Amino acid sequence: MFVDINCTQEKKYNQNAFGDYFISKRHKGRLIAVLSDGLGSGIKANILSCMTATMLLRFIEAQRNIKAACEIILNSLPVCQVRQISYSTFSALDCTDNGDVKIVEEGNPQFIWMKKNGEIIEPECKIINSRTFSNRHMKIYHIRMDLGDRLIFCSDGVTQSGLGGENLKLGLRRSGLIDVIKKKLKHQSDISSRELSKYIVEYAKYIDNKHAKDDISACVVHFTKLRKLCVFTGPPYHSEKDSEYAKIFDEFDGKKAICGGTTANLISRELNREIITESPFNTGRLPACSSMEGVDLITEGILTLSLANEYLEDETRINEINAATRLVNLILDNDYILFMVGAQLNQAHYDPNLPIEIEIRKNVIKKMKRILEEKYTKRVKIQYM
Amino acid sequence: MNKIEVEICMGTTCFIMGAESLQELASILQRKYPDKVDTKGIVCHGFCNTDCQYSKAPYVKVAGDVISEATVEKVLAAVEKKLGEEA
Repeated sequence: MFVDINCTQEKKYNQNAFGDYFISKRHKGRLIAVLSDGLGSGIKANILSCMTATMLLRFIEAQRNIKAACEIILNSLPVCQVRQISYSTFSALDCTDNGDVKIVEEGNPQFIWMKKNGEIIEPECKIINSRTFSNRHMKIYHIRMDLGDRLIFCSDGVTQSGLGGENLKLGLRRSGLIDVIKKKLKHQSDISSRELSKYIVEYAKYIDNKHAKDDISACVVHFTKLRKLCVFTGPPYHSEKDSEYAKIFDEFDGKKAICGGTTANLISRELNREIITESPFNTGRLPACSSMEGVDLITEGILTLSLANEYLEDETRINEINAATRLVNLILDNDYILFMVGAQLNQAHYDPNLPIEIEIRKNVIKKMKRILEEKYTKRVKIQYM
Repeated sequence: MNKIEVEICMGTTCFIMGAESLQELASILQRKYPDKVDTKGIVCHGFCNTDCQYSKAPYVKVAGDVISEATVEKVLAAVEKKLGEEA
Protein backbone atom coordinates (compact mmCIF):
# COMPACT_ATOMS: atom_id res chain seq x y z
CA MET A 1 0.00 0.00 0.00
CA PHE A 2 1.01 3.60 -0.40
CA VAL A 3 0.34 6.18 2.30
CA ASP A 4 -0.97 9.38 0.71
CA ILE A 5 -0.67 12.11 3.33
CA ASN A 6 -1.44 15.78 3.08
CA CYS A 7 -2.21 18.65 5.40
CA THR A 8 -3.98 21.89 4.54
CA GLN A 9 -3.93 24.88 6.85
CA GLU A 10 -5.54 28.27 7.24
CA LYS A 11 -4.43 31.08 9.55
CA LYS A 12 -6.75 32.66 12.05
CA TYR A 13 -8.29 35.74 10.45
CA ASN A 14 -6.06 38.80 10.67
CA GLN A 15 -3.02 36.86 11.85
CA ASN A 16 0.16 36.78 9.85
CA ALA A 17 1.51 33.42 11.02
CA PHE A 18 0.07 29.94 11.31
CA GLY A 19 -0.58 28.84 14.90
CA ASP A 20 -0.74 25.15 13.95
CA TYR A 21 2.26 23.27 12.61
CA PHE A 22 2.41 20.13 10.52
CA ILE A 23 5.52 18.15 9.65
CA SER A 24 6.03 14.73 8.11
CA LYS A 25 8.90 12.55 7.05
CA ARG A 26 9.07 9.44 4.95
CA HIS A 27 11.93 6.99 5.16
CA LYS A 28 11.79 3.77 3.16
CA GLY A 29 8.49 2.11 4.19
CA ARG A 30 7.96 4.27 7.28
CA LEU A 31 6.05 7.53 7.57
CA ILE A 32 6.08 9.79 10.62
CA ALA A 33 3.91 12.88 10.95
CA VAL A 34 3.05 15.36 13.69
CA LEU A 35 0.31 17.98 13.86
CA SER A 36 0.64 20.44 16.71
CA ASP A 37 -1.61 23.29 17.80
CA GLY A 38 0.14 26.08 19.69
CA LEU A 39 -1.58 27.99 22.48
CA GLY A 40 -3.18 31.21 21.24
CA SER A 41 -2.54 32.37 17.71
CA GLY A 42 -0.04 34.26 15.57
CA ILE A 43 3.71 34.21 16.06
CA LYS A 44 3.67 32.91 19.64
CA ALA A 45 1.48 29.94 18.72
CA ASN A 46 3.58 29.36 15.63
CA ILE A 47 6.79 29.09 17.66
CA LEU A 48 5.20 26.79 20.25
CA SER A 49 3.64 24.41 17.74
CA CYS A 50 6.68 24.45 15.48
CA MET A 51 9.00 23.53 18.37
CA THR A 52 6.70 20.78 19.62
CA ALA A 53 6.17 19.26 16.18
CA THR A 54 9.76 19.35 14.98
CA MET A 55 11.18 18.06 18.27
CA LEU A 56 8.60 15.30 18.46
CA LEU A 57 9.27 14.23 14.88
CA ARG A 58 12.99 13.97 15.60
CA PHE A 59 12.42 12.11 18.87
CA ILE A 60 10.16 9.55 17.19
CA GLU A 61 12.63 9.15 14.38
CA ALA A 62 15.56 8.64 16.72
CA GLN A 63 13.81 6.53 19.36
CA ARG A 64 12.06 4.23 16.89
CA ASN A 65 9.37 4.17 19.59
CA ILE A 66 6.54 6.66 19.44
CA LYS A 67 5.37 6.07 23.02
CA ALA A 68 8.71 6.88 24.62
CA ALA A 69 9.19 9.92 22.38
CA CYS A 70 5.76 11.35 23.18
CA GLU A 71 6.20 10.72 26.90
CA ILE A 72 9.23 12.99 26.93
CA ILE A 73 7.13 15.81 25.52
CA LEU A 74 4.15 14.91 27.75
CA ASN A 75 6.29 15.23 30.86
CA SER A 76 8.22 18.31 29.88
CA LEU A 77 5.94 20.59 27.90
CA PRO A 78 5.39 23.70 30.01
CA VAL A 79 2.02 24.99 31.18
CA CYS A 80 0.92 28.57 30.55
CA GLN A 81 1.00 30.36 33.92
CA VAL A 82 -2.02 32.48 33.09
CA ARG A 83 -4.36 29.93 31.59
CA GLN A 84 -3.03 26.82 33.32
CA ILE A 85 -3.12 24.80 30.09
CA SER A 86 -0.36 23.24 27.99
CA TYR A 87 1.61 25.42 25.64
CA SER A 88 0.70 23.13 22.79
CA THR A 89 -1.26 20.03 21.90
CA PHE A 90 -0.25 17.36 19.40
CA SER A 91 -1.24 14.32 17.35
CA ALA A 92 1.60 12.05 16.26
CA LEU A 93 1.48 9.29 13.69
CA ASP A 94 3.99 6.54 12.99
CA CYS A 95 3.02 4.09 10.28
CA THR A 96 4.37 1.62 7.76
CA ASP A 97 3.11 1.02 4.26
CA ASN A 98 1.76 -2.38 5.22
CA GLY A 99 -0.84 -0.59 7.35
CA ASP A 100 0.60 -0.88 10.86
CA VAL A 101 -0.27 2.41 12.56
CA LYS A 102 0.57 3.90 15.94
CA ILE A 103 -1.04 7.15 16.98
CA VAL A 104 -0.50 9.30 20.06
CA GLU A 105 -2.80 12.20 20.90
CA GLU A 106 -2.47 14.89 23.50
CA GLY A 107 -5.17 17.56 23.57
CA ASN A 108 -6.09 17.63 19.86
CA PRO A 109 -9.55 16.48 18.71
CA GLN A 110 -9.74 12.69 18.43
CA PHE A 111 -8.77 11.45 14.96
CA ILE A 112 -11.34 9.84 12.64
CA TRP A 113 -10.79 6.36 11.20
CA MET A 114 -12.97 5.84 8.17
CA LYS A 115 -13.11 2.55 6.32
CA LYS A 116 -13.37 2.37 2.55
CA ASN A 117 -17.16 1.85 2.80
CA GLY A 118 -17.59 4.95 4.99
CA GLU A 119 -17.92 3.05 8.27
CA ILE A 120 -16.39 4.81 11.28
CA ILE A 121 -14.37 2.74 13.71
CA GLU A 122 -13.70 3.93 17.25
CA PRO A 123 -10.63 1.97 18.32
CA GLU A 124 -9.62 1.34 21.90
CA CYS A 125 -6.78 3.33 23.35
CA LYS A 126 -4.38 3.16 26.23
CA ILE A 127 -4.19 6.21 28.45
CA ILE A 128 -0.86 7.29 29.89
CA ASN A 129 -0.81 9.92 32.60
CA SER A 130 1.95 12.45 32.87
CA ARG A 131 4.37 11.94 35.76
CA THR A 132 4.86 15.65 36.17
CA PHE A 133 1.49 17.23 35.40
CA SER A 134 -1.55 15.78 37.16
CA ASN A 135 -4.14 16.98 34.65
CA ARG A 136 -2.27 15.87 31.54
CA HIS A 137 -2.47 12.55 29.75
CA MET A 138 -1.97 11.10 26.31
CA LYS A 139 -3.83 8.42 24.36
CA ILE A 140 -2.03 5.70 22.45
CA TYR A 141 -3.64 3.71 19.65
CA HIS A 142 -2.23 0.76 17.78
CA ILE A 143 -4.39 -0.06 14.78
CA ARG A 144 -4.23 -1.84 11.44
CA MET A 145 -5.29 -0.23 8.18
CA ASP A 146 -6.71 -1.93 5.12
CA LEU A 147 -6.51 -0.73 1.55
CA GLY A 148 -8.79 2.29 1.09
CA ASP A 149 -8.92 3.27 4.80
CA ARG A 150 -8.50 6.91 5.76
CA LEU A 151 -7.37 8.69 8.92
CA ILE A 152 -8.33 12.31 9.46
CA PHE A 153 -6.57 14.50 11.99
CA CYS A 154 -7.47 18.09 12.69
CA SER A 155 -6.90 20.98 15.03
CA ASP A 156 -9.80 22.29 17.14
CA GLY A 157 -10.16 25.10 14.59
CA VAL A 158 -12.04 22.56 12.46
CA THR A 159 -14.28 20.97 15.09
CA GLN A 160 -15.10 24.34 16.63
CA SER A 161 -15.71 26.14 13.33
CA GLY A 162 -19.10 27.79 13.06
CA LEU A 163 -19.30 28.04 16.84
CA GLY A 164 -22.03 30.37 18.02
CA GLY A 165 -23.50 30.70 14.54
CA GLU A 166 -27.16 30.38 13.57
CA ASN A 167 -27.12 26.70 12.69
CA LEU A 168 -24.23 25.33 14.68
CA LYS A 169 -24.40 26.70 18.19
CA LEU A 170 -21.76 24.24 19.37
CA GLY A 171 -19.72 24.36 16.20
CA LEU A 172 -19.14 21.67 13.61
CA ARG A 173 -17.85 19.16 16.17
CA ARG A 174 -16.37 15.77 15.33
CA SER A 175 -19.76 14.29 14.41
CA GLY A 176 -20.44 17.15 11.98
CA LEU A 177 -17.01 16.73 10.42
CA ILE A 178 -17.67 13.01 9.89
CA ASP A 179 -20.90 13.87 8.03
CA VAL A 180 -19.10 16.43 5.86
CA ILE A 181 -16.41 13.90 4.90
CA LYS A 182 -18.94 11.13 4.24
CA LYS A 183 -20.94 13.38 1.91
CA LYS A 184 -17.83 14.39 0.00
CA LEU A 185 -16.64 10.78 -0.36
CA LYS A 186 -20.04 9.70 -1.66
CA HIS A 187 -19.46 11.80 -4.76
CA GLN A 188 -15.69 11.40 -4.96
CA SER A 189 -14.63 8.16 -3.33
CA ASP A 190 -11.10 8.29 -4.77
CA ILE A 191 -10.38 11.92 -3.77
CA SER A 192 -6.72 12.54 -2.97
CA SER A 193 -5.62 13.49 0.54
CA ARG A 194 -4.58 16.87 -0.80
CA GLU A 195 -8.03 17.64 -2.15
CA LEU A 196 -9.92 16.23 0.83
CA SER A 197 -7.84 18.15 3.36
CA LYS A 198 -8.31 21.30 1.28
CA TYR A 199 -12.06 20.68 1.18
CA ILE A 200 -12.28 20.25 4.98
CA VAL A 201 -10.37 23.47 5.61
CA GLU A 202 -12.43 25.41 3.06
CA TYR A 203 -15.62 24.06 4.63
CA ALA A 204 -14.55 25.05 8.16
CA LYS A 205 -13.57 28.50 6.97
CA TYR A 206 -16.84 28.89 5.11
CA ILE A 207 -18.99 28.14 8.16
CA ASP A 208 -16.83 30.59 10.12
CA ASN A 209 -18.25 33.21 7.70
CA LYS A 210 -15.05 33.04 5.64
CA HIS A 211 -13.02 34.55 8.48
CA ALA A 212 -11.36 31.70 10.37
CA LYS A 213 -11.95 32.21 14.10
CA ASP A 214 -8.97 30.02 14.97
CA ASP A 215 -6.08 28.37 13.15
CA ILE A 216 -7.54 25.58 11.03
CA SER A 217 -5.61 22.44 10.03
CA ALA A 218 -6.77 19.19 8.50
CA CYS A 219 -4.49 16.26 7.79
CA VAL A 220 -5.72 13.33 5.73
CA VAL A 221 -3.91 10.00 5.51
CA HIS A 222 -5.13 7.59 2.85
CA PHE A 223 -3.92 4.01 2.49
CA THR A 224 -4.15 3.53 -1.21
CA LYS A 225 -2.65 1.86 -4.21
CA LEU A 226 0.45 3.60 -5.47
CA ARG A 227 -0.64 6.24 -7.98
CA LYS A 228 1.95 6.52 -10.73
CA LEU A 229 2.78 9.21 -13.24
CA CYS A 230 5.32 9.21 -16.08
CA VAL A 231 6.55 12.54 -17.46
CA PHE A 232 8.32 12.25 -20.81
CA THR A 233 10.38 15.32 -21.64
CA GLY A 234 12.97 15.88 -24.34
CA PRO A 235 13.93 13.74 -27.34
CA PRO A 236 16.30 10.81 -26.63
CA TYR A 237 19.99 11.45 -27.39
CA HIS A 238 20.10 8.63 -29.95
CA SER A 239 17.15 9.19 -32.20
CA GLU A 240 17.21 5.57 -33.37
CA LYS A 241 15.90 4.72 -29.90
CA ASP A 242 12.82 6.97 -30.23
CA SER A 243 10.44 4.11 -30.97
CA GLU A 244 11.75 1.98 -28.10
CA TYR A 245 11.25 4.78 -25.56
CA ALA A 246 7.87 5.75 -27.01
CA LYS A 247 6.76 2.15 -26.49
CA ILE A 248 8.00 2.11 -22.88
CA PHE A 249 6.09 5.35 -22.27
CA ASP A 250 2.93 3.99 -23.87
CA GLU A 251 3.05 0.83 -21.79
CA PHE A 252 3.60 2.68 -18.51
CA ASP A 253 1.05 1.57 -15.94
CA GLY A 254 -0.30 4.93 -14.70
CA LYS A 255 -0.99 8.51 -15.76
CA LYS A 256 1.13 10.07 -18.51
CA ALA A 257 2.31 13.56 -19.39
CA ILE A 258 4.51 14.93 -22.17
CA CYS A 259 6.40 18.21 -21.68
CA GLY A 260 7.80 19.59 -24.92
CA GLY A 261 6.58 20.29 -28.44
CA THR A 262 9.28 18.32 -30.22
CA THR A 263 8.80 15.48 -27.76
CA ALA A 264 5.03 15.44 -28.37
CA ASN A 265 5.64 15.29 -32.12
CA LEU A 266 8.05 12.41 -31.61
CA ILE A 267 5.54 10.37 -29.57
CA SER A 268 2.77 11.24 -32.04
CA ARG A 269 4.93 9.98 -34.91
CA GLU A 270 6.08 6.80 -33.15
CA LEU A 271 2.65 5.81 -31.80
CA ASN A 272 0.81 7.12 -34.84
CA ARG A 273 -1.61 9.21 -32.78
CA GLU A 274 -2.85 12.68 -33.52
CA ILE A 275 -2.10 15.67 -31.29
CA ILE A 276 -5.08 17.90 -30.61
CA THR A 277 -4.10 21.37 -29.44
CA GLU A 278 -6.45 23.22 -27.16
CA SER A 279 -7.57 26.75 -27.93
CA PRO A 280 -4.59 29.11 -27.94
CA PHE A 281 -6.64 31.83 -26.20
CA ASN A 282 -6.30 32.82 -22.57
CA THR A 283 -3.56 30.40 -21.70
CA GLY A 284 -1.93 32.74 -19.20
CA ARG A 285 1.84 33.02 -19.01
CA LEU A 286 2.44 29.80 -20.95
CA PRO A 287 1.60 28.18 -24.30
CA ALA A 288 -1.60 26.14 -24.62
CA CYS A 289 -1.88 22.47 -23.65
CA SER A 290 -2.68 19.64 -26.04
CA SER A 291 -4.02 16.16 -25.80
CA MET A 292 -3.49 12.76 -27.38
CA GLU A 293 -5.23 9.44 -26.94
CA GLY A 294 -3.70 7.62 -23.96
CA VAL A 295 -1.87 10.73 -22.64
CA ASP A 296 -3.32 12.80 -19.82
CA LEU A 297 -1.54 16.10 -20.49
CA ILE A 298 0.74 17.61 -23.13
CA THR A 299 2.47 20.92 -22.43
CA GLU A 300 5.31 22.99 -23.83
CA GLY A 301 8.65 21.95 -22.30
CA ILE A 302 11.15 24.00 -20.41
CA LEU A 303 9.14 27.17 -19.66
CA THR A 304 6.28 25.10 -18.26
CA LEU A 305 8.60 22.90 -16.20
CA SER A 306 10.44 25.95 -14.83
CA LEU A 307 7.22 27.68 -13.79
CA ALA A 308 5.93 24.40 -12.31
CA ASN A 309 9.06 24.37 -10.13
CA GLU A 310 8.27 27.90 -8.93
CA TYR A 311 4.72 26.82 -8.08
CA LEU A 312 5.92 23.69 -6.28
CA GLU A 313 8.35 25.75 -4.20
CA ASP A 314 5.59 28.12 -3.18
CA GLU A 315 1.99 27.16 -3.94
CA THR A 316 0.75 30.65 -3.06
CA ARG A 317 2.30 31.86 -6.34
CA ILE A 318 -0.36 30.01 -8.31
CA ASN A 319 -2.63 32.79 -9.50
CA GLU A 320 -3.97 31.51 -12.81
CA ILE A 321 -4.87 28.27 -14.54
CA ASN A 322 -2.15 27.58 -17.07
CA ALA A 323 -0.17 24.60 -18.32
CA ALA A 324 2.13 24.65 -15.28
CA THR A 325 -0.81 24.69 -12.84
CA ARG A 326 -2.27 21.66 -14.60
CA LEU A 327 1.07 19.87 -14.56
CA VAL A 328 1.53 20.61 -10.84
CA ASN A 329 -1.95 19.27 -10.06
CA LEU A 330 -1.25 16.10 -12.01
CA ILE A 331 2.10 15.60 -10.26
CA LEU A 332 0.72 16.24 -6.77
CA ASP A 333 -2.15 13.81 -7.27
CA ASN A 334 0.32 10.98 -7.83
CA ASP A 335 2.75 9.34 -5.44
CA TYR A 336 5.40 7.89 -7.70
CA ILE A 337 6.74 10.03 -10.52
CA LEU A 338 9.03 8.72 -13.24
CA PHE A 339 10.73 11.36 -15.38
CA MET A 340 11.93 10.08 -18.74
CA VAL A 341 14.41 12.80 -19.72
CA GLY A 342 15.80 13.01 -23.23
CA ALA A 343 19.33 14.38 -23.47
CA GLN A 344 19.07 15.86 -26.94
CA LEU A 345 19.37 19.64 -26.93
CA ASN A 346 17.45 22.08 -29.07
CA GLN A 347 20.20 24.34 -30.44
CA ALA A 348 17.77 27.22 -30.89
CA HIS A 349 17.34 27.44 -27.11
CA TYR A 350 20.96 28.47 -26.69
CA ASP A 351 20.89 31.28 -29.20
CA PRO A 352 22.26 34.31 -27.33
CA ASN A 353 19.66 36.46 -29.09
CA LEU A 354 16.83 34.93 -27.10
CA PRO A 355 15.37 37.48 -24.70
CA ILE A 356 15.47 35.13 -21.70
CA GLU A 357 17.84 32.43 -20.58
CA ILE A 358 16.52 28.92 -21.03
CA GLU A 359 17.59 26.49 -18.37
CA ILE A 360 18.99 23.08 -19.14
CA ARG A 361 16.25 20.46 -18.96
CA LYS A 362 18.31 18.06 -16.87
CA ASN A 363 18.84 20.69 -14.15
CA VAL A 364 15.19 21.72 -14.07
CA ILE A 365 14.12 18.08 -13.59
CA LYS A 366 16.79 17.50 -10.94
CA LYS A 367 15.49 20.49 -9.01
CA MET A 368 11.91 19.24 -9.36
CA LYS A 369 12.94 15.83 -8.02
CA ARG A 370 14.48 17.43 -4.95
CA ILE A 371 11.41 19.57 -4.20
CA LEU A 372 9.01 16.66 -4.71
CA GLU A 373 11.00 14.39 -2.43
CA GLU A 374 11.75 16.88 0.30
CA LYS A 375 8.62 19.00 0.42
CA TYR A 376 5.95 16.61 -0.81
CA THR A 377 7.45 13.24 0.26
CA LYS A 378 6.94 11.83 -3.25
CA ARG A 379 8.90 8.93 -4.71
CA VAL A 380 10.74 10.16 -7.77
CA LYS A 381 12.91 8.45 -10.34
CA ILE A 382 14.74 9.99 -13.27
CA GLN A 383 15.63 7.95 -16.32
CA TYR A 384 17.92 9.68 -18.79
CA MET A 385 17.56 8.70 -22.39
CA MET B 1 -15.23 27.95 -49.32
CA ASN B 2 -12.69 26.15 -47.17
CA LYS B 3 -11.57 27.96 -44.08
CA ILE B 4 -8.06 29.38 -44.08
CA GLU B 5 -6.03 27.57 -41.49
CA VAL B 6 -3.74 29.65 -39.26
CA GLU B 7 -1.37 27.55 -37.12
CA ILE B 8 0.53 29.31 -34.34
CA CYS B 9 3.61 27.48 -33.06
CA MET B 10 3.43 26.89 -29.30
CA GLY B 11 7.00 25.66 -28.94
CA THR B 12 9.44 27.13 -26.46
CA THR B 13 11.51 29.21 -28.90
CA CYS B 14 8.51 30.68 -30.70
CA PHE B 15 6.74 31.43 -27.45
CA ILE B 16 9.54 33.49 -25.97
CA MET B 17 10.32 35.13 -29.33
CA GLY B 18 6.82 36.58 -29.46
CA ALA B 19 4.20 33.87 -29.98
CA GLU B 20 2.86 34.93 -26.60
CA SER B 21 1.57 38.15 -28.13
CA LEU B 22 0.16 36.15 -31.04
CA GLN B 23 -2.52 34.95 -28.66
CA GLU B 24 -3.98 38.36 -29.33
CA LEU B 25 -3.88 37.58 -33.06
CA ALA B 26 -5.95 34.48 -32.44
CA SER B 27 -8.72 36.49 -30.81
CA ILE B 28 -8.57 39.22 -33.50
CA LEU B 29 -8.95 36.64 -36.27
CA GLN B 30 -11.78 34.93 -34.50
CA ARG B 31 -13.60 38.20 -34.07
CA LYS B 32 -12.91 39.54 -37.56
CA TYR B 33 -13.34 36.43 -39.68
CA PRO B 34 -15.24 33.90 -37.57
CA ASP B 35 -16.47 31.96 -40.62
CA LYS B 36 -13.44 32.27 -42.85
CA VAL B 37 -10.42 31.59 -40.66
CA ASP B 38 -9.63 28.71 -38.33
CA THR B 39 -6.92 29.55 -35.80
CA LYS B 40 -5.22 26.89 -33.75
CA GLY B 41 -2.05 26.18 -31.81
CA ILE B 42 0.50 23.60 -32.93
CA VAL B 43 2.84 22.00 -30.40
CA CYS B 44 5.97 22.73 -32.46
CA HIS B 45 6.60 23.17 -36.16
CA GLY B 46 10.26 22.32 -35.59
CA PHE B 47 11.47 25.22 -37.77
CA CYS B 48 13.55 26.74 -34.97
CA ASN B 49 15.75 23.66 -34.95
CA THR B 50 16.45 23.66 -38.68
CA ASP B 51 16.67 27.42 -39.10
CA CYS B 52 18.27 28.25 -35.77
CA GLN B 53 21.26 30.26 -36.90
CA TYR B 54 18.88 32.86 -38.32
CA SER B 55 16.62 33.16 -35.25
CA LYS B 56 13.47 33.70 -37.23
CA ALA B 57 11.02 32.58 -34.58
CA PRO B 58 8.10 32.90 -34.03
CA TYR B 59 6.69 30.91 -36.90
CA VAL B 60 3.09 30.86 -38.04
CA LYS B 61 1.61 28.90 -40.93
CA VAL B 62 -1.15 30.54 -42.98
CA ALA B 63 -2.83 28.03 -45.29
CA GLY B 64 0.40 26.06 -45.40
CA ASP B 65 2.72 29.02 -46.08
CA VAL B 66 5.35 29.58 -43.43
CA ILE B 67 5.66 33.09 -42.01
CA SER B 68 8.85 33.67 -40.05
CA GLU B 69 9.37 36.43 -37.49
CA ALA B 70 5.61 36.54 -37.34
CA THR B 71 3.84 39.56 -35.93
CA VAL B 72 0.15 40.32 -35.63
CA GLU B 73 0.38 42.70 -38.62
CA LYS B 74 2.34 40.27 -40.80
CA VAL B 75 -0.06 37.40 -40.21
CA LEU B 76 -3.14 39.60 -40.66
CA ALA B 77 -1.77 40.83 -43.99
CA ALA B 78 -1.09 37.26 -45.13
CA VAL B 79 -4.56 36.15 -44.12
CA GLU B 80 -6.17 39.09 -45.93
CA LYS B 81 -4.09 38.38 -49.03
CA LYS B 82 -5.29 34.77 -49.01
CA LEU B 83 -8.87 35.88 -48.51
CA GLY B 84 -8.47 38.28 -51.47
CA GLU B 85 -7.12 35.46 -53.68
CA GLU B 86 -10.01 33.23 -52.81
CA ALA B 87 -12.71 35.89 -53.24
